[in-house]
Amino acid sequence: MRYALRNLKRARRRSLYTFLAAFYPALILVIMFGLAAGEVQGMFESATKLETGHLQIRGGDELAGGALPLFELPDELVSRLEEDAAIQYWTVRLDLPALAAAGSRSYGVLVQGVEPEKIAEISPIPGLISQGRYITGPREAVIGEELARLLDLEVGDSLVLLSVHPEAGMGAGVAKVVGIFRAPQAEMGRTVIQVPLTTARRLVRQGDVVTSVVAFVRGVEGPWDAWKIERTAAELEKILPEGLVVKDFEELAPEVALYIRIARPVLTAFSAIFFVLGGLVVLNAFYLSVLERTRELGVIRALGASRRWIMRAILGEALVLSGCGAGLGGLLGAGLVVLVEGLGGLRMPGAYSEFLRAFGMEPILHLRVTPWEVLGSALAMAGVAVLSAWYPARKAARLDPVEAMRHVT
Amino acid sequence: MSPEPVLVAENLVKNYRTDSVETPALRGVDLEMAKGEFTAVAGPSGSGKSTLLHLLGGLDRPTSGEVFLEGKALSKLSPEELAKLRLSRIGFVFQAYNLIPVLTVLENVAFVLELRGVPREERERKAREILAELGVEKYARQLPHRLSGGEQQRVAVARAVVGAPAIVLADEPTANLDGENSRALIDLMRRLNGSRGTTFLFATHDSRLLDRVKRLLTLEDGRITADRRQ
Repeated sequence: MRYALRNLKRARRRSLYTFLAAFYPALILVIMFGLAAGEVQGMFESATKLETGHLQIRGGDELAGGALPLFELPDELVSRLEEDAAIQYWTVRLDLPALAAAGSRSYGVLVQGVEPEKIAEISPIPGLISQGRYITGPREAVIGEELARLLDLEVGDSLVLLSVHPEAGMGAGVAKVVGIFRAPQAEMGRTVIQVPLTTARRLVRQGDVVTSVVAFVRGVEGPWDAWKIERTAAELEKILPEGLVVKDFEELAPEVALYIRIARPVLTAFSAIFFVLGGLVVLNAFYLSVLERTRELGVIRALGASRRWIMRAILGEALVLSGCGAGLGGLLGAGLVVLVEGLGGLRMPGAYSEFLRAFGMEPILHLRVTPWEVLGSALAMAGVAVLSAWYPARKAARLDPVEAMRHVT
Repeated sequence: MSPEPVLVAENLVKNYRTDSVETPALRGVDLEMAKGEFTAVAGPSGSGKSTLLHLLGGLDRPTSGEVFLEGKALSKLSPEELAKLRLSRIGFVFQAYNLIPVLTVLENVAFVLELRGVPREERERKAREILAELGVEKYARQLPHRLSGGEQQRVAVARAVVGAPAIVLADEPTANLDGENSRALIDLMRRLNGSRGTTFLFATHDSRLLDRVKRLLTLEDGRITADRRQ
């Protein structure tokens, strides 16, 4: 090992290149992990808080036209939800496909009957009101800015809601626009109208029905905690009355779940390019190093060093250099992630910001990286570097001593 | 009864092939060396001295014939077994010193013992002893490039004998030294031969050194043409 360590000082510039070849990929991968975690967490939060919750209890699968089955909430289920320590928060919703009309204009919408006093705790919509206020009482509605433009509505105007539900038939009602919200997604701004649960129930002329129980599971911070949701969903499924089903986030928002699932592997694969480049630099550095030391290695072999000893000496050099490089790269990457997060997150520029908005996210990424990701990145890069040095090390170990000692550099 | 020979070569033949041309380097060398001998192989350049030493030291394999070191046939050993044998039983001194430039003088001498797995304290003690015996202990912490050619070659001799090998093979050890340093080095090797009983076989083409050896082999055109004890 002493021989390996001393060799690091022999060609300092080459040692520096090898160090940097491990340093940069580890740094980049850790930052990528931070970005990926920030992005998927943003999507997850947006999708769960705006639409799906972590899980929902429904009256069955979707009916024709995308309507959800109506069901009455059994008392024992309410008790269970109240007592279940795994459930952090729950509310009910009555979602109805409807036609919203004002004057001579009409537009297809989704009326969401919500519990205003409960939903404000978790939904971002009360915080997105740009004009007026959030709903507080019956026959009130909040609509998106896009729908307000389409129907030429302002705060204080009334709109007619005409719902069509396969189980309840047609229903009509009038609601007063008390607030207009700026939806994170244009599609949502065009189609979602939130009204009090009682107002939605009038449209189906049934006093106690809902279409879903929306629940949030305690301790879930991002999609990496999906197992907690699955576990809670499985526990709930055991006690559900017949006819009711429980659906977790991945079933409720499969397209977002898919993106979340592939985001990290895609970014990791992208980072692999840097690993390959780093590996090539290490390969080149050690190949040249072995070439320059051919005579010396021949002498060492002649003195009686085994092939294993030569391999170990060269791979030891690679391990020390790449281990230090990758370790420091990983730590610096983690430091940057923590620093950026400490400063309030990373504000994304231009087109990427629009992309985030399309998923209902704020254009600020909250970076996050775990110690395991830092350790994994550093170990992976050090591993790639050692593998890259394997060929030159093997070549050195197989040198013919006599031939090698004749070598002239 | 004569002592058991340390090294035996039987009808050693070595041909080098370049393209389709085969060039003979050794044409059938027979040799027997007893423990404690101090022998020189003399001959002009190209006579096959280095080739002979490479074959005797298990660095190269003969085209035909056999080398026995302490009764062990080298042709039967794998490259790794040969390396192990070189490490434990053969000391080498090369023409161009060939010290490891990144290791200090002390570490260079102790290197062979390190390869053998000797604990640090013991190998450094042995290395210091031999360096003191050869008068270069004061350079123990220096890197080799700070030493003169003669001093470096003394260190190389120290490295060769520190592990108490069965034989030390030295290939033109004085080739890069002036006359005074050459004689001093051979005298030093002779002293080690006397004090430690180390068996030496060295190749040289310097006729001024030949009166200092106990046995002189003359190699010409790949054959031993004279074997003289003096």
